[in-house]
Amino acid sequence: MEKLSIEETKYTPRIIMDAEKGLLQIKGKSYPENTFEFYKPMIEWIETYFRSPQVKTTLQMEIIYFNSSSSKFFFDLFDRLEEYRERSDITIEWIYDPENESALEAGEDFIDDFEMLNIQLIEKWTTS
Amino acid sequence: MITINSLESIFNEEQIIFLTYGGTFTQSLIAGMTGVLEKEIEEDELSMATSNNIFVVFIELAQNIMNYAKKRKNSLHFDPKGLVFVGKKENHYFVCGQNIITESDKTLIEARLEEVTSLDKEGLKKRYREIRRSGRGSHDKGGGLGFYEIARKVENLDFRFDKISDDRYYFKLCATI
Repeated sequence: MEKLSIEETKYTPRIIMDAEKGLLQIKGKSYPENTFEFYKPMIEWIETYFRSPQVKTTLQMEIIYFNSSSSKFFFDLFDRLEEYRERSDITIEWIYDPENESALEAGEDFIDDFEMLNIQLIEKWTTS
Repeated sequence: MITINSLESIFNEEQIIFLTYGGTFTQSLIAGMTGVLEKEIEEDELSMATSNNIFVVFIELAQNIMNYAKKRKNSLHFDPKGLVFVGKKENHYFVCGQNIITESDKTLIEARLEEVTSLDKEGLKKRYREIRRSGRGSHDKGGGLGFYEIARKVENLDFRFDKISDDRYYFKLCATI
């Protein structure tokens, strides 16, 4: 399966989906004009991937800040992953800067909402 | 009427204005203005949490104005323009916006904002999660999450509706962070 790679912009994150490694990465800011349209290629890739996924799949998310429609989108993404959890051993790594309390809080909210998913809060290593 | 004098008083009244914009809102403008805010606020040595809250509140407010205009672009006599400003007074930051809405939208927005401003942080968190959970696929417009998103990130939220004509109101929203 081909890798999916989308470059970062001012208002959308960098997306790299690697089926061989079972590694899905989303990193950056997220406030697209049309959230559903922006993430559509990623959702299609994920649907295809989970037809024959790796034994283990890791989703790494490092979102600096995001608007409310992205928040809703991430919720729907996790909802979808919850449905796929029988097919692959899924880990979600929610990566946050220790100084960014809102990002930590957002991760904690997702943990409360998705008890069936393995969501890990990972403090980003910073030089400061 | 706006005169040079009244503009001056806006800029001098014990507050610092980082950014003002009035006109039609587009996504690239919003991204550009967010970039300007990031630079301005960087110099203020705020915590990352506070600065990100300012950016998110600004984005929500500006995208609200943009989306409202998009939704009504074909209606007759609709003025799509809006106004935003971001500033600092004493130790607080504020993000304010204004646009023109219809009477029926005023009713909807007013009810929602009254609920939002009556809730404490825990109540907001609970409602936010309930609304986010409901209505899969409605994330295009945030599914009504926007005001809750703003309220969770601010200390105070003020709103006002000023009547222009029978079916037109100025909707003014001001968040203090």
